[in-house]
Amino acid sequence: MSDVTVPATTGAGVFFDGRISTRRDARVTLGARTLTIDDAEGRRLAEWPYEEIEGLPGPDGVLRLGRHGQVRLERLTITDPAFAAAIDARAANVDRSGGLQHRQQLAVVGLSFVAVATLLMVAWFGVPAVAARVAPLLPVAVERKLGAAVDVQIRSALDTKHAGAAFECGNDAGKADARAAFAKVTQRLEAAAALPQPLRFTIVHRPESNAFAIPGGQVYVFEGLIEAAHDADELAGVLAHELGHVAHRDGTRAVLQGAGLSFLFGMVLGDFVGGGAVVIAAKTVLQSSYSREVEAAADVYGVGLMQKAGGNARALAAILARIGGATEPGMKILRDHPDTRARVATIERLAPGSGGPAMLSPAEWTALRGICKG
Amino acid sequence: MTSLEASGGKASSVRFLGRRRTYARLLARGAALLLVSLGLYRFWLMTDVRRFLWASTEIDGETLEYAGTPIELVLGFLVAVAVLVPVYAGFFVAALDLGVFGEMAGGLAFLGLGVLGQYAIYRARRYRLTRTIFRGLRFTQDGSAWVYAFRAAGWWFATAITVGLAYPFQLASLERYKMRHTFYGTLPGRFAGAGWKLLLRGVPMWLLVMAPLALTAAAFVEAVDWGALADAVGQGGDDVMARVEGGNPALGETIVFAMLMIGLSVLLAVLFYPVFQAVVLRWWTSGLRFGEIEATSSLRIRHVYGAYMRFLWWGLLFTIVLGILAVPLLIFIGILAGKMPETGAGDIAASVIGLGGYVIAALGYSTIYRATVQLSLWQLGAEALHLSRVERLDRVEARGEASSPLGEGLADALNVGGY
Repeated sequence: MSDVTVPATTGAGVFFDGRISTRRDARVTLGARTLTIDDAEGRRLAEWPYEEIEGLPGPDGVLRLGRHGQVRLERLTITDPAFAAAIDARAANVDRSGGLQHRQQLAVVGLSFVAVATLLMVAWFGVPAVAARVAPLLPVAVERKLGAAVDVQIRSALDTKHAGAAFECGNDAGKADARAAFAKVTQRLEAAAALPQPLRFTIVHRPESNAFAIPGGQVYVFEGLIEAAHDADELAGVLAHELGHVAHRDGTRAVLQGAGLSFLFGMVLGDFVGGGAVVIAAKTVLQSSYSREVEAAADVYGVGLMQKAGGNARALAAILARIGGATEPGMKILRDHPDTRARVATIERLAPGSGGPAMLSPAEWTALRGICKG
Repeated sequence: MTSLEASGGKASSVRFLGRRRTYARLLARGAALLLVSLGLYRFWLMTDVRRFLWASTEIDGETLEYAGTPIELVLGFLVAVAVLVPVYAGFFVAALDLGVFGEMAGGLAFLGLGVLGQYAIYRARRYRLTRTIFRGLRFTQDGSAWVYAFRAAGWWFATAITVGLAYPFQLASLERYKMRHTFYGTLPGRFAGAGWKLLLRGVPMWLLVMAPLALTAAAFVEAVDWGALADAVGQGGDDVMARVEGGNPALGETIVFAMLMIGLSVLLAVLFYPVFQAVVLRWWTSGLRFGEIEATSSLRIRHVYGAYMRFLWWGLLFTIVLGILAVPLLIFIGILAGKMPETGAGDIAASVIGLGGYVIAALGYSTIYRATVQLSLWQLGAEALHLSRVERLDRVEARGEASSPLGEGLADALNVGGY
């Protein structure tokens, strides 16, 4: 036990020379600048400068040492705690207390905060900026393909109760009047908009007052929206707003943004706990927040289009105020009233007076309203 | 043991020195750091876990050493991201346009990433082996990761079309490939396990799990009038279900029977899973060979069940704690929603709390799983192992050097990582 009180300069160890796996019981001597390792017969096995000695992971109560930066893996293990402490005191890169590791951990946490902040900045500013630059560059043909893929998903998500064709309204022979009235509205909008791609409007059996455009010029109108509209101009106003999304290629941009975000969050953050749920939540919040500006731009376009088509541009404001601004799916969390009020005010400022004659006669409007009935 | 002594040479068993409590503390601290670093701490945690497991495993009086570093894993991951970005972008663009190729892009992406995942598994194994040091010598692995990847993909296909019956042969074949290319210093490894032995042990379980599913299929063939069903669906319209029921009066009962049988099959699969794990682990470790050194395992199935019981017990405690903590939060949401229903503050608070709760719960259960089942499988697998002729370990010469960590990075990015 005298070793504990007197600083030990020699002790026992087990040495492996890194050339062959033979175990050698060794006598270790602590010199002024080097540690020397001799075998039982006093033959020199190795001499290590203190600055090259590194502590290596080993089991509890065993100090495992190696020599830094060597191809050959010389290893020395010390089990006597007092002698291990004496080596620890001389070699700077031996970290028995774990203080070095603790500092490293703190640095990792600090750095990962920086990394996460950078990631959020890229998600918030970078991804939308890239999507906005890339979306207008995509050829119309590619956008239509993209739209077709999205369309399949949208239909399977929305078409819950009805099978096949019954999901769409107005395909029966008896609905010719209603179809004609709807076509009158949409053709006037399409002519006024003069977009590079042909448009397709589809009315579907859904109770919500909603409509949306997907990439490639496909616009879905829900039965609930036709119920909520007081006249054809209100319906046309919402359709004009949706054509704003088509003209600005917002659908394509949203798909690109979604792909970018899921790549960013899914891969960089890793699946440490089924990160999928985090990714979906992050995407929803980020994408909803992009859409405020996007909605405002589509409103401006919609007002301009209604004025060009000779309809009542203020009708969009009227129907928005009534249905609470929920014209996009999946926006419940951000559907607050001040936002809708601001949109209504902007539309009314842009369209001071009501436009020309109503877009449909009362008889045509009545026929259109019945398109999903029966 | 008798066979070992008869074969001559010194026999030795493997010991596990690690303390459960130390490991649990390491994992708990790691889980907290994962949470605050949004998962980026995983490279450091993985390194800590391996250092602990390696250092706690003693073979013939000497412990293993894990010489990998977290920075290597981060670099490997970054390189993997750089490799995968163009691959993902290519599939995304291909899915949009390019005709027939575009239509098949989804399937091709699945296949391509599947093969790449197997490639990553082989490269990651190479990284781990070359970072494993024993008595001053490295383990190494040669062989081609691409050859392995295509073999593995072929075997997965065979396993899929035989509903799992080819799985033992898949394990044996892939393990033979891996071990044939594994070396401890100059001592070559090989794998002596036979697929059919594993098949014999697994077939009774396979039959019991499959029997309810086979009965279900038979019941459908018996009960359903397929012509009437096709007519009912083919007509379309709003009342498909009504017509389906009209044409097949026995369908309802058959569906109830099918649901019961599928439930039974899932229950049996869950109950047998520890047995399956124990059988595979014992078979695998008993097949390991290095030079003349042979391993045999005396792993007991009930010990593996014990590990799962510990998981259930700690999982139950954790669930109770979570439940108690959730009550005040739910009350808070209720008050928020009641006081300010028009702002939607209740909705937002509910989403945030729900998401936070999900992450904490998932992290908690995975940590408990690692601290109980994973640790126990490692420990049981090691302690049940007996090695013959260990004196051959005394004069092995060094060979090989450290390999690149790209495989680990790819495995992480593709979510196919192991220990």
